[in-house]
Amino acid sequence: MEDIGGGAAASAPASVAPDPDGLDGVRMTWNSWPRSKVEASKCVIPVAASISPIRSYPDLVVLPYSPLRCKPPCAAVLNPFCRVDFPSKIWICPFCFSRNHFPQHYSAISETNVPGELYPQCSTVEYGPAPFVSGGDQSSAPPPPPPIFLFILDTCIIEEELGFVKSAMRRAIGLLPENALVGLITYGTQVHLHELGFSDLSKLYVFRGTKEITKEQILDQLGLSVAGRAGAPGFPKGGMPQANGLNPSASVNRFLLPASDCEYTLNALLDELPSDKWPVEVGNRPRRCTGVALSVAAGLLGACLPGTGARIIALVGGPCTEGPGMIVSKDLSEPVRSHKDLDKDAAPHYHKAVKFYDSLAKQLVNQGHVLDLFASALDQVGVAEMKVAVERTGGLVVLAESFGHPVFKDSFKRTFESGEQSLGLSFNGTLEINCSKDIKLQGIIGPCTSLEKKGALSSDAVIGQGNTTAWKICGLDRSTCLTVFFDISPSERSNQSGIPNPQLYIQFLTNYQNPEGQMRLRVTTITRKWVEGSANTAELVDGFDQETAAVVLARFISLKMEMEEEFDAIRWLDRSLIRLCSRFGDYRKDDPASFSINPNFSIFPQFIFNLRRSQFVQVFNNSPDETAYFRILLNRESITNSVVMIQPSLISYSFNAPPSPALLDVASIAADRILLLDAYFSVVIFHGTTIAQWRNMGYQNQPEHQAFAQLLQAPHDDAQMIIRDRFPVPRLVVCDQHGSQARFLLAKLNPSATYNSAHELAPGSDVIFTDDVSFQVFCEHLQKLAVQS
Amino acid sequence: MASSFSPGGPSRPRPGYYPPSIANPSPNPSPASSLPGTMQNLQIGRPSAPSGPPPFLSGISASASGGSRPGPPPQSLPTRPQFQQPPAMSNGPPSIGVSGPRFPTQATLREPTPTIPTQGSRAVPGSSSAGSPANDLVPPSIYNSSFSAPAAGVPMAPPSLVSSPPQLHSLMGGQPSHPLAGGSPSQPLAGGPPSQPLMGGPPSLPYMGQPQMVQYSGMRQPLPPSGAAPPFGSPPVWQQQQPRPGVAPVSSMVQAPPQMFGAPPSPFTQPRPLTPPVMGNSPLAWSHSSTPSTIDPNQIPRPMVDSSVIVFNTRQGNQVNSPPPATSDFIVKDTGNCSPRLMRCTMNQIPCSGDLLSTSSMPLALLVQPMAIPNPDEEPIQVVDFGEIGPIRCSRCKGYINPFMKFVDQGKRFICNLCGYSNETPRDYYMNLGPDGRRRDAEERPELCRGTVEFVATKEYMVRDPMPAVFFFLVDVSMNSIRTGATAAACGAISQAIADLPEGPRTLVGIATFDSAIHFYNLKRALQQPLMLVVPDIQDVYTPLHTDLIVPVAECRQHLEQLLESIPSMFETNKVADSAFGAAIKAAFLALKPTGGKLLVFQSVLPSIGTGSLSSREAEGRTTNVSSGEKEAHKLLQPADMTLKTMAIEFAEHQQVCVDVFITTQAFVDMASISVVPRTTGGQVYYYYPFSALSDTAKLYNDLRWNISRPQGFEAVMRVRCSQGIQVQEYSGNFCKRIPTDIDLPGIDCDKSIMVSFKHDDKFQEGSECAFQCALLYTTIYGQRRIRVSNLSLPCTTMLGTLFRSADLDSLLTCFLRQAATAIPTSPLSQVREQIMNLCVNILHSYRKFCATVSTPGQLILPESVKLLPLYTLALSKSTGLRNDGRLDERSYWANHVASLSVSLAVPWVYPRMISIHDLTSKENNDPILSSILPLSSANLNDDGIYLLENGEDCLFYVGNMVNSEILQQIFGVTSVDGLPTQFVLQQYENTFSKILNDVVNEIRRQRCSFLRMRLCRKGDPSGMLFLSNMVEDKSPGGLSYMEFLVHVHRQIQTKME
Repeated sequence: MEDIGGGAAASAPASVAPDPDGLDGVRMTWNSWPRSKVEASKCVIPVAASISPIRSYPDLVVLPYSPLRCKPPCAAVLNPFCRVDFPSKIWICPFCFSRNHFPQHYSAISETNVPGELYPQCSTVEYGPAPFVSGGDQSSAPPPPPPIFLFILDTCIIEEELGFVKSAMRRAIGLLPENALVGLITYGTQVHLHELGFSDLSKLYVFRGTKEITKEQILDQLGLSVAGRAGAPGFPKGGMPQANGLNPSASVNRFLLPASDCEYTLNALLDELPSDKWPVEVGNRPRRCTGVALSVAAGLLGACLPGTGARIIALVGGPCTEGPGMIVSKDLSEPVRSHKDLDKDAAPHYHKAVKFYDSLAKQLVNQGHVLDLFASALDQVGVAEMKVAVERTGGLVVLAESFGHPVFKDSFKRTFESGEQSLGLSFNGTLEINCSKDIKLQGIIGPCTSLEKKGALSSDAVIGQGNTTAWKICGLDRSTCLTVFFDISPSERSNQSGIPNPQLYIQFLTNYQNPEGQMRLRVTTITRKWVEGSANTAELVDGFDQETAAVVLARFISLKMEMEEEFDAIRWLDRSLIRLCSRFGDYRKDDPASFSINPNFSIFPQFIFNLRRSQFVQVFNNSPDETAYFRILLNRESITNSVVMIQPSLISYSFNAPPSPALLDVASIAADRILLLDAYFSVVIFHGTTIAQWRNMGYQNQPEHQAFAQLLQAPHDDAQMIIRDRFPVPRLVVCDQHGSQARFLLAKLNPSATYNSAHELAPGSDVIFTDDVSFQVFCEHLQKLAVQS
Repeated sequence: MASSFSPGGPSRPRPGYYPPSIANPSPNPSPASSLPGTMQNLQIGRPSAPSGPPPFLSGISASASGGSRPGPPPQSLPTRPQFQQPPAMSNGPPSIGVSGPRFPTQATLREPTPTIPTQGSRAVPGSSSAGSPANDLVPPSIYNSSFSAPAAGVPMAPPSLVSSPPQLHSLMGGQPSHPLAGGSPSQPLAGGPPSQPLMGGPPSLPYMGQPQMVQYSGMRQPLPPSGAAPPFGSPPVWQQQQPRPGVAPVSSMVQAPPQMFGAPPSPFTQPRPLTPPVMGNSPLAWSHSSTPSTIDPNQIPRPMVDSSVIVFNTRQGNQVNSPPPATSDFIVKDTGNCSPRLMRCTMNQIPCSGDLLSTSSMPLALLVQPMAIPNPDEEPIQVVDFGEIGPIRCSRCKGYINPFMKFVDQGKRFICNLCGYSNETPRDYYMNLGPDGRRRDAEERPELCRGTVEFVATKEYMVRDPMPAVFFFLVDVSMNSIRTGATAAACGAISQAIADLPEGPRTLVGIATFDSAIHFYNLKRALQQPLMLVVPDIQDVYTPLHTDLIVPVAECRQHLEQLLESIPSMFETNKVADSAFGAAIKAAFLALKPTGGKLLVFQSVLPSIGTGSLSSREAEGRTTNVSSGEKEAHKLLQPADMTLKTMAIEFAEHQQVCVDVFITTQAFVDMASISVVPRTTGGQVYYYYPFSALSDTAKLYNDLRWNISRPQGFEAVMRVRCSQGIQVQEYSGNFCKRIPTDIDLPGIDCDKSIMVSFKHDDKFQEGSECAFQCALLYTTIYGQRRIRVSNLSLPCTTMLGTLFRSADLDSLLTCFLRQAATAIPTSPLSQVREQIMNLCVNILHSYRKFCATVSTPGQLILPESVKLLPLYTLALSKSTGLRNDGRLDERSYWANHVASLSVSLAVPWVYPRMISIHDLTSKENNDPILSSILPLSSANLNDDGIYLLENGEDCLFYVGNMVNSEILQQIFGVTSVDGLPTQFVLQQYENTFSKILNDVVNEIRRQRCSFLRMRLCRKGDPSGMLFLSNMVEDKSPGGLSYMEFLVHVHRQIQTKME
């Protein structure tokens, strides 16, 4: 992975330099764990792990057999940390200390002949293709069902936008795997479910947009209910339902056809597809029933065999104004809710809509299906409300301002690309976590849903999706990342046992259906060190991962801001930071000047400073939709990417020096520099005034100024590299100093120079018109408060 | 000519396609103006140049020639439908050209005369919004009766009458007879001394007061004007009344056989000769001969057909003429009163008081058929455009200007003939009066000299722009419908029928199919193929598109034809047995909501699912019958619940959607519940039971074709006003009523008739006239808003005898028929039959008691005008609707059919027409075949004969078991009776016999405006029984023979007399 961490990377701990996530894809806030609850709370930053369950890794070992599991209820999988007694062919589970006999087919095991999963470097292995059919006849297993892509297309949009979205659709259909099943729903005032398998003419089912409709009603009305009617009219039943992996009693394959069979139909259909024809009264928004459209899609997929991987790909061009899930009324005089409205509880539709999407999420999770949301509109479309459905199902979300914008176009294309560029979209994931005694699972923040499998390991204190030891991840991909929060609660018995194990173990079992449709089980087992007592601060300090800590804190605070009313995020952050510095800093009491802190913490205040100023905390600068969008991505991206969201990276290009990371400070602006800002959601190329003048005069086109041309080009090349690897595709902003678009850069910079300090300005530098405190002031205050007794 | 109208014919002009501008009033009234393409040769008096101007224009040019009739009349005028076998029926006969009657070539057009206030039925002049329609529709309660009725002037025998006697009298052996009620109403007649001439007409008017010649026992015996009542109650002496020659016979009389008297009728099947049969005919004087005789069954009153064409002047001088029988062939000259086709009253003189009316026991009712097709030789209804001021109306009662409004004060004021209010003549309408007291321009202005005119409606009569002509087809595609071929038949019919729709942008069509879901089709031309939109939620339906479901026919013809062709195969394997009729019509209604229009539903099974679903009540009825007997059976003829009714009211009230239902079924469909929808929305039900894809396809097509191409109007409101003294009691027919005074008709067509009954609220002065005015505000198929105003002004009388003389049998029958139909869902059948018989008995009793007092009590005396009443009553009591053995749906259909049945069709519906056809070729060429009708008695059926019986709906061929095989071969293409098919299609073979038969059938079709369901009945099998059940004069398990019935009636009267 290209690390363009910039300034952050420069000061990042050397231990995580090349691939901070390592083979396991696990990063922890603390790599040495306090042993007691009290100590843990003194650490301020929660003990949490960020895991990338199916991160792609070239050296991953895939074992073509079923895993060996410990006896229930533990059921941990054999791993390198197991103690193996080769002579007696027994292995001891590191979690429950049970002794297990190796089964017959492991009889050849010896110290010189160990199976792959016992190799020390194989802390992460994958089992395939039939992980759970232990001892069963694998050859009789049915072929994997093909993935289903059900497109939902908003037609309440202007013709131009419709044209964009149609061409995006056409391209996507061309990219789909041949066997993938495709369905199409278009909607506006009403929902149109297209029966692609009807050969006589174009046929579609129409559902009203105003009425809430249950899954049973949908199946019944489509003639798909299992107990229901003898089938829908006019369609010769049969076909190969088994081969399609669909419930044979319900001919849902009328609606879902293999991509190779229906490409022509779909294209023809798209050609003729008009924008919604229902009249829009003056002063009104078009009537758009996104909620019912999603219900219909979910209901239709309910007719598929359980275990079939399916994505609902919703292309939404505006707010839902009718029926369930409506976020704003038709009347244009009513604006779409803002953060202020949400704060004051003045968003009349918000809670109802969230409730609706929540129940939709539950249904989709039950079915194991994913909701992807591609929202393209200048105004909000209701991502804030739909967030729950997208996040719970592990769906993708892309927010753009137009279907013609590259942010949508390229992201949408990426979704369906295969090979190197593929997102590795997988289905039907479940995550189970085993861990050593004394550790409890509080929950997960990220794109998953609790399966409510309560066990001895689940903590009563819940964060995010908790109360369980297993989670459903309907949709996951290579970059999917989850944050697991741990609770350290030593039990009485373990304290008495006398011989406490200095290591703790955690095992992540991710069962999923890979893009090829095969079921895989990825097992990651990690171990970390316990830190006994309160004296051993150094060990804790050594184990601190400030990047992860910043990201976990950001995720945690985002959750708190959503869940808790009247939550003062900034105050909470400041206090946490102060407490952390008080706990781990070296200082004399009440002497700010004496304050110093271990390098492992050195950059953390800067993260917090930027987090305070970020879109995650300063929500009022954004719409609720944007906030929701940012948070979904924050919760599902890797630590490295998430850090960029919190603290963008800045690279400076000039004649004087090679491209180099620059301080995220207004002072980095210079007339003869080009700056490349990567704020994750946007990539800004910023030309200093002189550079812009030269460029405007066309020097780059003159052969003698090739160097200038190269200088101009370099940030663009780098930006393209960033954009190419990122999903969703960030917005590229190219701007000049003092231009209007320059705000995209200025907003992210440390306001070390403001209009208050303008008199000290050096020529060519810039100021930020803000009253925000600069990082220097922030640090001064921090030191002062940290050393207070 | 007719063949050029066959579907798929060469493209032809669509006359009247572009409506003339309002300022240019058309002389061609509707129906002509509203006739679609099939009616194109309304280009009266023009060479039938295909590119000729629309009829409106031709009318204008015709007007220039004044009263003359320029140019040759066209060969044929399909004012009646032409029936065709659809091409799909390859073995069917080619389209049959019906040599239609002719329109008069004269189409006089009056100058549009701007002026005159008046009122429409929907919008109030002055209050343009729809907000207050109720107000202006409330009639003024006070009628000023000061308007003098046409004085009983000197009676003048119209020459035409001489040559064309009303045919009722032909009963008496074809003697020329006098017209009824032609006399001066001022003459007291009833109960008068015998010396009074009967009809009140002076003897010098031979045909006015001519005694009826009665043929009795083979002997003509004009009855004497006086007679002594035979001794009553002395059976042995029970004398055969012998009518004597006399004057003014008005009634027929039959005396009961003495041996029968007081004893129950013996159950013989053959009418036994009645010993003293008397054909009495005088309400006043009566003498009887003591000549004993036996009654000849052939001499008892039976309908006769006079084939000659009668010319009927609605008024003559200042007198009102009684109209000829509704079933006869006549040409009306509108001379002040409207044509009897448009309005027909149960009595042609109005009783001055309510007491007189109740004494007569007759109902006072008007049968209104506002868009009835005129005889082609009649002058078309003229259109009057008053420009922006709209039609002149009485400012109090809002009655429209009519010939009976009296202009006074040198023409400065006019007195309303309805309410008596004295209005100021609008300045622009002023004209001074001539020496005769009439306006000088009265003869030039249609509204002042014609009983019926059509006014161009102004904006004030519109709540929105006139709606386009929208036809939405809804086809059942559930499993049974597919399997029986009903879907294919419907699709074929639609496909061909739309070919006859005018091409214009105002003609819109749409189509949907349904089973357990509703499938709409987007027919937009831009699409490569139609798009099918399924509405699966049948509990709570909606329309799937805002636009494109209903598109101009010109834009979608190709798509539609392609779609109709593929629908049957598309659903070929449909396994859905359920049918969501209620939901489907609701959904279609929602699609039609913006415009309104006609919804034509093809339904094949019991609607079993979705909104308004029904259950198989017939089966339930059967099981309950076992336990609770027949007591509650009639309740099954009521709608199952209110769902469909509520829906229908919504259709009619707010959105002007008219629903016609074509039921092509082989099982119970709960007609009682379904029919509520067409009933309420001004539509009608077509019933094909048991549906046969072979026999019924042709009828289905022709029914549909006539349905959409006949003269019709949309979004209509109708109101009948009458002179002060009486008031409207009730309207009955297929409509929706929001307010008491008006009826809403989302669709109105030439076949629909509405009955309006009246009651007295005051007395009329003797010698005055009572006026009726029916105003129908409607939109033509070409989008013109019109008000058709028909006026009928009838003299008032205090004489019961006059009342009886002026009674209109056909209207009375229609009235009774409707009463029976209304009663069967609410009362047990036996009670309804009794009720009907009582009506008959009461009338006859009243006549006997007050008008024939002098006759012997033992005589059954029938008023001449209603002498057929017993026969019709008997037939009615044996009809499908009142028979005990009928199926529930059939009874329900019967009742529903009757509800809008016109007078001219009511008669055959009750008393079908039967002719023999095995001897067709032997009949003389100039002897009209259809006039030689046979009494409905099995005595007239011979084993070697073939008979045709038709009631306007069904056409049964009865084949005796000894028919000459050559005849069979010629007519049916089979050599033996056994070879006759069960499913029958009448074909034309290459022989004279077959040709004549087809001509006859086509003539019947033309007369009845119906293609007729052909069925073959063979003696000895169930189909034969069906035929025989129509032999109403026979004694049957369910009823008496005609002869017995007469005796029964007579006895009832006598019981009452005592």
